Amino acid sequence: MSRHAGGLERSHMYRKSAAVGAALALAMLLAAAMPATVLGASSASGAPASAHTITVSVWQAALIAIGYYLANSPWLFGLAFFTLYRPLVAGFLVGLILGDPAQGTLIGAAINVPYLGFISAGGNLPADASLAGWIGTTVALASGLDPTKAVAIAFGLGLLGTIIFYGRMAVDSVFAHWADARAERADIAGVAFMNLVPGQAFLFVVSFVPVFWLALNGPTAVQDALNALPVWTVNGLVIAGGILPAIGIALNMRFIFRGSAIPYFFIGYILMTATHNSLSLVVVAALGLALAYLHLSFVRRDAPLPAETAAQASVAAQSAEAASAPAGTAPVARPSLGIRLTRGDLLKSWALWTFFAHANYNYERLQGTGFAHAMTPIIRRLYTTEDEIRAALKRHLVFFNTEPNFGNVVHGTVIAMEEQRANGAAIDDDAINSVKSGLMGPMAGIGDTLSQSTITPILLALGIGIAGGKASGTAVPTLAGATGNPLGAIIYVVLVSVVIVAIGYTAWMQGYSRGRAFVTDILRSGAIDRVLIGAGVMGNMVLGALAASFVVVNLAPTVTIAGAQMNLQAAVLDPLFPGALALGLVIMTWWLLRRRVNPLALLVAYLVISIVAAYPFFGPDHTTSSDPAAQYQVCTSSLLHPYYACGTPPAPSAQP
Amino acid sequence: MSFRLVRIDDRLIHGQVVAGWLRALGAKRIVIVDDATARDEFLREVLTLAAPHGVPVEVFGLADGATRCLELASGPEPVIVLARSPQTIVGLRQAGVPIEVVDLGGMGAGPGRRRLHKTISVSPEELESLRELETMGTRVEIQIVADDRPIPFRSLDSNL
Repeated sequence: MSRHAGGLERSHMYRKSAAVGAALALAMLLAAAMPATVLGASSASGAPASAHTITVSVWQAALIAIGYYLANSPWLFGLAFFTLYRPLVAGFLVGLILGDPAQGTLIGAAINVPYLGFISAGGNLPADASLAGWIGTTVALASGLDPTKAVAIAFGLGLLGTIIFYGRMAVDSVFAHWADARAERADIAGVAFMNLVPGQAFLFVVSFVPVFWLALNGPTAVQDALNALPVWTVNGLVIAGGILPAIGIALNMRFIFRGSAIPYFFIGYILMTATHNSLSLVVVAALGLALAYLHLSFVRRDAPLPAETAAQASVAAQSAEAASAPAGTAPVARPSLGIRLTRGDLLKSWALWTFFAHANYNYERLQGTGFAHAMTPIIRRLYTTEDEIRAALKRHLVFFNTEPNFGNVVHGTVIAMEEQRANGAAIDDDAINSVKSGLMGPMAGIGDTLSQSTITPILLALGIGIAGGKASGTAVPTLAGATGNPLGAIIYVVLVSVVIVAIGYTAWMQGYSRGRAFVTDILRSGAIDRVLIGAGVMGNMVLGALAASFVVVNLAPTVTIAGAQMNLQAAVLDPLFPGALALGLVIMTWWLLRRRVNPLALLVAYLVISIVAAYPFFGPDHTTSSDPAAQYQVCTSSLLHPYYACGTPPAPSAQP
Repeated sequence: MSFRLVRIDDRLIHGQVVAGWLRALGAKRIVIVDDATARDEFLREVLTLAAPHGVPVEVFGLADGATRCLELASGPEPVIVLARSPQTIVGLRQAGVPIEVVDLGGMGAGPGRRRLHKTISVSPEELESLRELETMGTRVEIQIVADDRPIPFRSLDSNL
């Protein structure tokens, strides 16, 4: 781990991520390069002989690489980040491409759990979840890997993938300057071109090439590596697959596991363990929704009563509006305007933004060129002279960054200001700039809280729960034997798309017609607060249930009870409180994150602990034999065991 | 020292601050010091309402902000202080507000601004102010989000 490496301080998050990612992902490939005999393992000793393997064809690899590009591209109406980017959805699509959508969805769901609390804000990306999803699923599916083994490998890939993102963020700054040159010539189409084409051409190359190569060669390399590793290390990977999800769940808990919503997490968890994971996540979510309503009606008393605060505040606001607001309070009739924007202009502008806000995302301007691109239909309609057009293009090419859906209220407001300015109102550059720079931050704060830390993870948790349908009736939560359900991915995509587009459209149109009044009204009404509180209740239930399904800690040591050798956990702990250890792990992880332990450090620590805990400390010999009885011994003589591989003493079975 | 974070960020309150720092630090109050923002009644209201429920936001100009920061500095409550420019922080220091570390969190690029690191760009005047802060004994660091490792300004300044 490179946390304290790097002498000259230019090293930062992405180097660290990349280094850890390289270590995790390439360790596999390196091991593959060694002859199996060097490691003293027989080829049969690795994974429990996998179901079946798939050879990825050139065409399939190309489709996967295009899928990965699309996940980071603007072509899906701004929804790529909420859909194809997520491992759940990527898993489903890779499954379709490779001919096993059910298993693909299951693997994608497992890979997605550690990324549940994943947030990208202000051009900062902790890991590339899309690379983990697209390549992780490809590798796992093609080499017939159990989903839990895929989790650790995929996470390594995710860290490696940040190289692509940060490379793009740096290079795209150049194209912003090319856009400046077009603006200088009052070339509207040129600015739009520069926002879209060079950045996307670059992104296509840096996405397609490595992913195509990985899709073709990754499966064999990983398979060879796993075959070459001793049994216990492979067991360690499976254990990690049960432990790493705790990090994703705990990261997400940082946002919603608070105050009076905390008990709902435990309700969700206990519901699942008490029913031996036989409940559908949809049932838990529906129950959560009902409880959220009750919570808002009866528990939540400290929320400000909207009527009171709004009454006194509106007086102040009205005077403020009168003083400075260009867009009035009510839907404004603008009879005096000579040049009017049409509804088509507004829609076109909204669509351009929704598609291309991040087409040329870069460190220097972030969404700056995307904003200018979105303004092109407005500028075309409102301004005719070359000077006006040049000034307008330059005005909107500056640094800009907000959450691209709820934050659309800024665009709506700015468009209304531009319209009035074109009709002679005294609105100067400063007035427009101050609205943009003043509003973009707070709107991003609200938007990110809504879309990234509330809506997306809750819907994802729901989709993952549906996708990873449980084998019911087992005391120990298990993914093994579960059949993936592609509906989980499909339902998630539909729900998240509808919600996100609805927020974006509403904010854009309301911002235009009501301007600042919309902002203050919605903030004062407390509506967002209520949505967040209700979502927090439901989110805690779903997250608790998901923790019960995906976080697995199993002690290996045995105890002798009434003359019979029995597993300590199965005989003593689970009858008292099923899943208590996993719950403890999740809470501990949450606590550590609150104590500002770096999630990346935690990830590496958990991975190391998993593998060390799989070492057969208590065993008489560290056998690498493929004999089931010997494997049983390796398995039970460690600290933790992979939940399905140990079997029972009389008739050991290596897998379900 | 109750200032959990003193941050220069031209977007003031946004996703990184609300979803990242606020949670990570367990801060209970946000104080914004910026003359222009304090004069704009609309922005003041938006900023006060944009933070999560239960986290009060106060917006001040430099003079009142210094007084308020001095009050809060000795209090037990964990506070985040946000400003838009290094000059404001220099002003706070001159008014006697104890600030050990100032974090550069977001300073957008523009004409006449040099890029220090990722999303951090500075004008010549800002650069002077940052150097002044260092000589006044306030460490200047770049740390975009709480999970990043802080990068000392000094290590970047020599490159300029």
